Amino acid sequence: MSVEQIKAGINLYAILKNLEDLVEYDSEVRGLIKGKKISIQFTVKGGPKAGVIFENGSCRVVKGKIKSPSVILWFSSPSHLNKMFDGNANPIPLKGFTKLGFLQNEFTKITEKLEYYLKPDEVSDPDEAYVEMNTRLTLTVAAFALPEIAMYDAEAKITASHIPDGTIQLEVLPDGPAVHLVVKDGKLEAFKGKAERPDAVMAMKDFVSANDFLNGRSNPFKAIASGEVMIKGIIPMLDNLSLILDKVQEYAE
Amino acid sequence: MKTYEYKKSHDLFEKAADIIPAGIYGHMSPAPLIPVSDYPFYIERAEGSHFWDVDGNEFIDYMCAYGPMVLGYNNPVIDAAADEQRKKVNCGTAPGEVMVELAQELVDTVAIADWAFFGKNGADMTLYSIMVARAKTGREKIIRLKGGYHGTAPWAQSPDHHGITFSDVKDVVMGEWNNYEALEKYVMEHKGEVAGIISTPYHHPTFEDNEMPADGYWQKVENLCKNEGIVLIVDDVRTGFRLHMGGSNEYFGFKPDLIAFCKALGNGYPISALVGTNEMMNAAAGVFHTGSYWFSAEPMAAAIATLREMKRTNSVDKMLKIGTMLNEGLEQLAKDHGYNLKITGHPSMSYYRLTDDPTLMLHQKWCGEATKRGAYFTSHHNWFVSAAHTEEDVKKTLEIADEAFKALKEK
Repeated sequence: MSVEQIKAGINLYAILKNLEDLVEYDSEVRGLIKGKKISIQFTVKGGPKAGVIFENGSCRVVKGKIKSPSVILWFSSPSHLNKMFDGNANPIPLKGFTKLGFLQNEFTKITEKLEYYLKPDEVSDPDEAYVEMNTRLTLTVAAFALPEIAMYDAEAKITASHIPDGTIQLEVLPDGPAVHLVVKDGKLEAFKGKAERPDAVMAMKDFVSANDFLNGRSNPFKAIASGEVMIKGIIPMLDNLSLILDKVQEYAE
Repeated sequence: MKTYEYKKSHDLFEKAADIIPAGIYGHMSPAPLIPVSDYPFYIERAEGSHFWDVDGNEFIDYMCAYGPMVLGYNNPVIDAAADEQRKKVNCGTAPGEVMVELAQELVDTVAIADWAFFGKNGADMTLYSIMVARAKTGREKIIRLKGGYHGTAPWAQSPDHHGITFSDVKDVVMGEWNNYEALEKYVMEHKGEVAGIISTPYHHPTFEDNEMPADGYWQKVENLCKNEGIVLIVDDVRTGFRLHMGGSNEYFGFKPDLIAFCKALGNGYPISALVGTNEMMNAAAGVFHTGSYWFSAEPMAAAIATLREMKRTNSVDKMLKIGTMLNEGLEQLAKDHGYNLKITGHPSMSYYRLTDDPTLMLHQKWCGEATKRGAYFTSHHNWFVSAAHTEEDVKKTLEIADEAFKALKEK
């Protein structure tokens, strides 16, 4: 499986997934989709498919094909999709020409906002709200990128096969966001929110600690030894997961 | 009961993490010590079966330096032998006479040993063992077992780990503990390709219950190796001299071609050894393998003294007795508190797990609570007892463990 294929999976399933939280937590973005009912199908030839549904003031991003999308955006290859995410290519609209206005205006503004929140290095003095949003989105990217990498990266496939079956939870304390990954026979599936009964937990003390940790700004060993990041449970699950996590940055860049 | 604090330990780590990769790397990393707030990171001094951390807290030590300490820290007999040799020469331009003496001691002690070769760490010897196997057979494939640890040389790691490549493990095949049928199937399907099979004498992975060999397992493996011209290697680095002075294979009733020792061999002085049969000696002699400090005489003198002292004091029986006493006491205590403590492996180096919570979180809490009260328990690794542990230590440990169980209920 090519790097482009993995990147395409991450772009559609992990980066785009953040639209859900963006709509929920950013009032400006919420304003942009107010009263809109529109669904966009992203289809990549020989690659991943995902749908984005704006409805009733919220957003859902789902894997695969959605029913009767308002817009279909087609990409000739994973590389084509990735170029669009990098701002260097345009999709081919197959359906929904009447909705092009939304794509060119509101949707573009939403994706610009997403980019702003996902690039903390370009923000000179991030405030508390920015840190929280960046943490939330980065955690989602990490969680939802992991299954793609574990499925297709040659080394990560081996790592994933070493993860015992069960549920791994990543969370920001005390009441921050959480994600969890269900592992079965070396396959990972990501979910937002807390698990009912996790087998292994990585808990970050607060948003600031989590932000530094997830963005690779803190020394992970120091973070664990100081209690900024706490781990418990079946540690081989986390040990192996961290090997795959190390690859997220290189693919998500 | 007073609980410990570790300010100095944790401050030191903070500094270390800026100037040492990972702060404390490898098997002594604080990462699996859960919760980290319950554990010291740095040690100030040690004596017998106890150590004191840099904050002045005293612990009964159930890790024994992860195995090397077998006769007690600062054992006067071993230290005197080492001191005497060091005053004459330690690291010199040629080996000391003591090297021959140690080889003889091992040949006289270890049942299968016709010769001995020395290094510093277990990994030096496991690597050497597979080189010898390849030299002996002219074959390339090495079979090792899933969950078995043979050090950190690239061949002994997984290719998905940092710094390891697929080519590093191209000829390393993974088998499964106690699965003789799969092993035999692979060997027969790859006739004439397997140079060696390396395994610990019983299965002692981390984070998992330890497992003894099934009835007849080792004898079948031994026969398979003999019939197919495969070198059978026992990694006795962790278990060596804790189960049987003649090698752990004697405890389980089989004869390998090569055995790697380290840990208990020098009671803390840095030395490891590979011993083998006459049949392996020419192949061993042909392999070039050495290191700057591999001929240091002081650890060799310490190893001779350790082997003799272990035999003189019958340390294997002592550890079995004290380990059994500890295990029976802990098992009963757990039961009294309504928990089930599963104990696996040999009593001198058992692995413990509270089965009431399969996620290990309860077990991690219990080990942490005991540690911060003075009994150093880890939750991820088998523990070790030494011949220096006393009945008084066990009694005190059980008091601490009792308090730790009570603390679980308070939370």
